[in-house]
Amino acid sequence: MTTYIIRRLLYMIPVIFGVSFIIFVLFNVVAGDPAPLLLGKHATVQQIHDLREQLGLNKPLFAQYMDVVKSAFTFDFGRSWATRQDIIEMIRQGAWPSLTLTIPAFMISTILSILLALVVAFYRGKGIDLTIRFLCIAGQSISSVAYILFFQYFFAYKLGWFEISGYEPEFPVFLSYVALPGIIWIVLSLGPDVRFFRTVILDEIYQDYVRTARAKGLGEITVLLKHVLRNAMIPIITYVVIQIPFLILGALLLESFFSIPGLGGITLNALNSSDFPVIKAMAVLSSIAYILFSLLTDVLYTLADPRVKLK
Amino acid sequence: MDRPLLSIKNLTVDFITPDASMRAVDNMSFDVPMGKTVGIVGESGSGKSVTSLAIMRLLQQPPAHISGEILFDGVDLLKLPDDQMRKIRGDKIAMIFQEPMTSLNPVFKTGAQVAETLMLHRGMDKKTAWEKAIDLFNEVGIPNPTQKVHAYPHEMSGGQKQRVMIAMAIACDPKLLICDEPTTALDVTIQKQVLELLRGLQEKHKMSMLFITHDLGVIADVADDVVVMYRSKMVEKDKTRAIFESSKHPYTKGLIACRPDMGANPRRLLTVSDFMDEAGNGLKVTRDRVQVFEKDYEAKNGNDILLEVKDIHTHFPIKGGLFGRKIGEVKAVDGVSFQLKRGKTLGLVGESGCGKTTLGRTILRLVEPTSGSIIYDGKDVTKMGQEEMRLLRRKMQIIFQDPYSSLNPRMTVGEILTEPLVVHNLGGGKKERLDAAKSLMEKVGMKANQLNRYPHEFSGGQRQRICIARALMLRPEFVICDESVSALDVSIQAQVLNLLLDLQQEFKLTYIFISHDLGVVNFIADEVGVMNKGVLVEMDRADRIYRQPKEDYTKALLGAIPKGLPKNIEAFIS
Amino acid sequence: MSAQDTKSLWADAFSRLVRDRWALISLVIVLVYAGIAVLATIGWGLPDWKTSQASEYLAPNGQFWLGTDLFGRDVFAKVIHGTKIAMSVGLVTSLIAIPIGVFIGAIAGYFGGWIDDIISWFITTFSSIPNIMLLISITLIMGKGLVSVYLALGITGWVGLARLIRGEVMKHKEREYVHAASAIGGGHFRKLFIHILPNVTHLVIINTSLQFQTAIKSEVILSYLGLGVQGEPSWGTMIDDARQELARGVWWQLAGATFAMFLVVLAFNILGDALRDSLDPKLKGK
Repeated sequence: MTTYIIRRLLYMIPVIFGVSFIIFVLFNVVAGDPAPLLLGKHATVQQIHDLREQLGLNKPLFAQYMDVVKSAFTFDFGRSWATRQDIIEMIRQGAWPSLTLTIPAFMISTILSILLALVVAFYRGKGIDLTIRFLCIAGQSISSVAYILFFQYFFAYKLGWFEISGYEPEFPVFLSYVALPGIIWIVLSLGPDVRFFRTVILDEIYQDYVRTARAKGLGEITVLLKHVLRNAMIPIITYVVIQIPFLILGALLLESFFSIPGLGGITLNALNSSDFPVIKAMAVLSSIAYILFSLLTDVLYTLADPRVKLK
Repeated sequence: MDRPLLSIKNLTVDFITPDASMRAVDNMSFDVPMGKTVGIVGESGSGKSVTSLAIMRLLQQPPAHISGEILFDGVDLLKLPDDQMRKIRGDKIAMIFQEPMTSLNPVFKTGAQVAETLMLHRGMDKKTAWEKAIDLFNEVGIPNPTQKVHAYPHEMSGGQKQRVMIAMAIACDPKLLICDEPTTALDVTIQKQVLELLRGLQEKHKMSMLFITHDLGVIADVADDVVVMYRSKMVEKDKTRAIFESSKHPYTKGLIACRPDMGANPRRLLTVSDFMDEAGNGLKVTRDRVQVFEKDYEAKNGNDILLEVKDIHTHFPIKGGLFGRKIGEVKAVDGVSFQLKRGKTLGLVGESGCGKTTLGRTILRLVEPTSGSIIYDGKDVTKMGQEEMRLLRRKMQIIFQDPYSSLNPRMTVGEILTEPLVVHNLGGGKKERLDAAKSLMEKVGMKANQLNRYPHEFSGGQRQRICIARALMLRPEFVICDESVSALDVSIQAQVLNLLLDLQQEFKLTYIFISHDLGVVNFIADEVGVMNKGVLVEMDRADRIYRQPKEDYTKALLGAIPKGLPKNIEAFIS
Repeated sequence: MSAQDTKSLWADAFSRLVRDRWALISLVIVLVYAGIAVLATIGWGLPDWKTSQASEYLAPNGQFWLGTDLFGRDVFAKVIHGTKIAMSVGLVTSLIAIPIGVFIGAIAGYFGGWIDDIISWFITTFSSIPNIMLLISITLIMGKGLVSVYLALGITGWVGLARLIRGEVMKHKEREYVHAASAIGGGHFRKLFIHILPNVTHLVIINTSLQFQTAIKSEVILSYLGLGVQGEPSWGTMIDDARQELARGVWWQLAGATFAMFLVVLAFNILGDALRDSLDPKLKGK
């Protein structure tokens, strides 16, 4: 197992090289020269040249690529072009608002989805199954932007139940800011999650060992909650854990719409203002998180499934 | 006479879906007396498993619709409310299934799965139940029961898993034990042990048993009474001995006669269709059809050696460590040598995992050997280049085990059969190739106008015939049959074996016939090689291997075959 | 059964599909949308969306079923015309993403070894960057407009399919029918393209219906971020316009575009599920 973990951690190195390469191609090769953009229309040729020098854009391409790689390994992403702030510091500040929104919403939606999927699987083929499945599919078919617009208009603006936008970090005040985007998150996740979990549970329900459990005389609910769910947890864990790194990045759309100063909002602002260093930092960090959490998934797998031995 | 423990009256099971309805069990009636074993025998799809699941009420309703009566101890199980039925399941009636690999829950310890039954029906606390589980493990013959209760299913062998299933089943001292093909997935030596265990437990616990199997040899060893099922109907029920000695129904006669056994076999196996026409009317079987066939061991198309395998090894690497380096190897084939004469059949037998399939595939270089040489017709196959190898493939062919996965489901039979000609750019234009395919279709007993059909439109036996036709399209001289009849029902198996013999004569074929079934190999092979753990343990003329085995392993293998009752062919001749 | 009754798995799946009433309705909806998109592209027979026909923000009425927008244009006509963008985004991104996904996945799954190592690394690298970031970055860099939307969605869309096809090809590679193809002397090309790929095509079809939905939904997000289509009505730009309109009680642009989109995505969803059921080869042959 230790060997496996070390091997997977080492695997991060080529992946970071790869991520750096994609970022490098996008921002250093394909994208236009950022200097005139940053300096505005009236910049002189000399100013542009100086800025390019300062940003390291006059170096040969390979050297520029190595700069990207280096920053990925040293975590030294420099300063934002737009705000001149230290990027690591920006991320530190943005993490809390993001997590207060995403973590509770994620936990509630996951638990709710599993429960609903169990209900649906228990009544498979019956009216309640068909209804919930149809609601999931229908709910999934509406644009997320439409949800955001409607919910904000109706629950915050019309009914005044929640704050329309903004953020306060203190507990419990922040709840009135994150509750509505949180609810939207849950509504958005419910459709795909319930459908996936239902499929996973039904895959197990027709296995031979379930027949054995019934042949023992166990009731259908025990069969479902003990024998089936325990096996279905194996794919469910993968599905759930691999979403976590993307939680850290925050909810891009929700944060920007509700003006929550989280990492999602920071990323979106950076994208809008062509703030390349910030975008690079976010991409690198999220890919590191992705690899770490897929490693965590594998480790959790060994706990959930005694057949799996990591080598 | 005592009231029978289980009495089934007019049981009918229909599966009704919006698209179709199918009668799986048609008006069955039979009894299982106290302390006796009743066997249900039949081929796949005959309704025998559905019957057992109906007794346990484990069929989903709908789509299943069950009518009739299932009287257990005088109570009609079909009329019991669900919660009452659950109290009977696992307590008074227990069941073991065919696949020990999948029938245990993979994420729970085996001991916990046995203890669960005890906690449910006997109200034991966890500690007592686990202690009892250890006793049960001991009783079903699992070594080191105190440790093995903590093992997960994947840490046990197939035989041990089936023993766990049995422990679970007998935990609450059931009055009736239903065994649905309990040994079909097991190797023959393990099968013998499990059958002995079941017989012992039955005597000790005074259980009744309902034993479902397709294997007449097994049924003769365990059952007092036999019920024969054919196409959802019960065609015959009688004492076991009577069934074997003087069965009345032509289907039963055919079923008994078509099974090749360890004794002398006729030149062509009898099949069900020799005894019964499509409408189910009995036919006469004449004496000349059953004359014992003496194999001509010495002179069949001369004596030159077609294939010589010299010290062949096929190892598969096990990877691991920090950089996925090779840290060990599985020695699937570990130094095998033999010679095969032209026109002869070599039977390769052994239990699962012995390396016989890998050996076959290595000879054709579908798997690359690690070392050794394969001399085919004077040339070393292992040293051939790509193009030379491609040309050699015209001469060497293979027929696989599973008729479902060995035909590409998206191609028509015509495309499948002409493909070998297309690959080798032989046989002229499209029309000539299709004509060649048509004539081979007829040779293997199919209709020439079926070429534009797809594989899923055929039965397993028909698909295997198509596989045989494909192998013969290039007119090969050497064919490997890798468990080619193992997935087929016995009556179909007999037809395919007869076909393989006819084709051998007509096309002067040399066969390597790989099988776990010693009866089949006895029928078809001139020479027999016994494999174990990647090594050829013993190889000799078929009659000598069966009559005077030298090696212990061969003796054990032969000894494990269910003896059954000798088939009394004389009684079937009219 | 006579020889004429013979049915390939495809024909069989299709007849099962159309027997499912909901799937059939969905198929018809998708075809109607496709028809409208074609008409909008050739500019024939659809109501006029360009000219200002009435005063601004008229509520829905007998003449303008979905009212008018800021410039007095017919919202219903805009919704109809938006079908063109939605369907073309779905189509073009599928045409980019699916061949890439199938090819890369098939090569990795079939050859294994170092080829698989490299492709798996590539797939992991792509999946580790959040999709939406990649999407926005590409659109930003390529400049606003339809072409960027196509490219961004195409380039991000192949990863899931490639992973799926890779796994499936690995499974099929070990099936006996592929070994049989080796035994008759068939080469890699024959085994991969003639034998294995037709057996994973059903996944491609299911995935196409998924890619259409994702593309249509993503167009809205990109438009909301101001990166979408310019100079032509799309559901995304209409929903984006609604941000300012809702507070003034103007709900019809949002409702019209959302409903038009809802209907077609729902149809793709139901169709996708039905395809999965009817194309599943597990159900046949055993």
